[in-house]
Amino acid sequence: MSASYLELRGIRKMFGDSTVLNDVDLSINEGELVTLLGPSGCGKSTLLRCIAGLTEPDGGSIMLGPTNIGELPPRRREVGMVFQSYALFPNLTVYENIEYGLKMRGADKKERQSRCEELLALVDLENKKDAYPQQLSGGQQQRVALARSLAVQPKVLLLDEPLSALDAKIRKSLRTEIRDIQRRLKMTTIFVTHDQEEALTVSDRICIMNNGNIVQDGSPEELYAKPRTEFVARFMGSYNVLSREEAGRLFGVAVGSAASYALRPESVRLLPASAGEARRDRRVADGTIESISVLGNIVRYSVVSSGVKLTVDALNDGQSHRGEEGAAVALELDSSQLLALEKEGA
Amino acid sequence: MIKSRAGWSHRALMLLLMVYLLLPLAATLLYGFAKQWQTTVMPESWTLEWFGEMFRDLRFLEALWTSLYLCAISVALSLAVMLPAVFVITVYLPKWETFMKGIVVLPYAVPGVVAAVGLIRAYSGGPIDIAGTAYILIGAYFIVVLPYMYQGIRNSLITVSAVELLHSAELLGASRKRAFVTVILPNIWPGVIISTLLSFSVLFGEFVLTNMLVGGHIQTIQVYLYRRVGESGHLASAIAITYFLFILALSTVLMKLGKKMNGVAEK
Repeated sequence: MSASYLELRGIRKMFGDSTVLNDVDLSINEGELVTLLGPSGCGKSTLLRCIAGLTEPDGGSIMLGPTNIGELPPRRREVGMVFQSYALFPNLTVYENIEYGLKMRGADKKERQSRCEELLALVDLENKKDAYPQQLSGGQQQRVALARSLAVQPKVLLLDEPLSALDAKIRKSLRTEIRDIQRRLKMTTIFVTHDQEEALTVSDRICIMNNGNIVQDGSPEELYAKPRTEFVARFMGSYNVLSREEAGRLFGVAVGSAASYALRPESVRLLPASAGEARRDRRVADGTIESISVLGNIVRYSVVSSGVKLTVDALNDGQSHRGEEGAAVALELDSSQLLALEKEGA
Repeated sequence: MIKSRAGWSHRALMLLLMVYLLLPLAATLLYGFAKQWQTTVMPESWTLEWFGEMFRDLRFLEALWTSLYLCAISVALSLAVMLPAVFVITVYLPKWETFMKGIVVLPYAVPGVVAAVGLIRAYSGGPIDIAGTAYILIGAYFIVVLPYMYQGIRNSLITVSAVELLHSAELLGASRKRAFVTVILPNIWPGVIISTLLSFSVLFGEFVLTNMLVGGHIQTIQVYLYRRVGESGHLASAIAITYFLFILALSTVLMKLGKKMNGVAEK
């Protein structure tokens, strides 16, 4: 294993009686973009603030390269941070905001100017350099915030739900832009979000957090295809989570020894009820459509079969079978798609 | 820009309110210039005599000056203490906020007369014998404006999200002191100016505490006004109007100053 760039060991944090971070270990390689994903209150933002030095952990160490930054004040950690609320300085122009960190570090005027021009070009805001933050849109403000934290060339960039305050369209374009910039600068980055779609699109690696623990980490593909626990399965997508008994009923055979199983909604195929007899090679179950919702390119059915409620996704391509609410259908199930889940906390 | 479209009922209500607020002032103004005003709606004859008499009275100018510098010192002192204190509490010790909120409403809870008697008792004799001096007055004034200063500064800090601004500045390499001066102070300045102005006006109009604490020794404008009301209503009106105009001018100057200092941000 290669030596990691940022290394957190046993980070612990209590707020009163509640444990917010429970001995969290995390290693990040240089140039990697790691996302901390989890529901609100899972400790992801607290972990980020511990790295920045804005919250003091009760225990554990934070190594950045050879330096133990856990003992340094925030301004000596060489860590940049972008907040959900932008936190731009309202009394300074866009240019002055970006220049601020360089000024504090005593860079001379010429250096400041060339660096600022460079960053303004990077975030594509050259024509707004004399504007004040309140004259910019949310997306533009967040780009200024990004440029401002990059100006001082931090070793690690922390993004604390940077897109949550923006509307859906800007959010999508800005996340691509952030990923682009991160790749170009090979900036080691930690991205905090509660949005699984966002996490899947921007990350090299995702750490899913729950109750102050990292419950699973891996590449986006890995996490999506192989959730280890029920929590991850539910969080990563609209996985059907079935108890062993339910899975047995649905597939008509005893399925194994795990307490619960996950089944991807797109692995179930919806067929006309009459087709049930024709496919003997696979398990076909009868069901009834309860509800249908069209999510753009996907049609999501809620189907009840053998007393089990299933979510089934089908491509909205006009070719696959379209049932209607209340109609009887046949479900084609593939038992190799059934994923055994570990118990929570195991 | 949103254009406000007030209906006639709104306008009428506003007009009524303005009349209600300005009528006493207008009447006082007229009375200050009136020579004869007994049985008619408007004064029968006019004179500048009352204003003349007031400005010829050295005690008036003296009282005005006394009020001005006592209030200025008190407000300056309050600003010097409260600004860093509220900043530290809001940003670093938010747990203390509940305690502070309780403390700052105390001046409202204790009636002026009770406070004055208590203060005189506590500070006449004993180690700190300052009853009847300007010191006790400045001390009392400090307490009187505490709620205005605390709330004003705190609200400004919260409005600009001072904690996050400070964190951003620190992560960009600023020391806490430098972050305060370069980022926090310029942004809360307009709010602080307003609080200062409000505090100043409150103190300038304060009578009960002042009269009881130092009434016999130091004449502020309110104490002076009180003395002269008995002599002539016309003269008192002239004094009240002059006092009002003085406060108005002072407010305008301070507001302009506040806008100018904030001009960098607003432009």
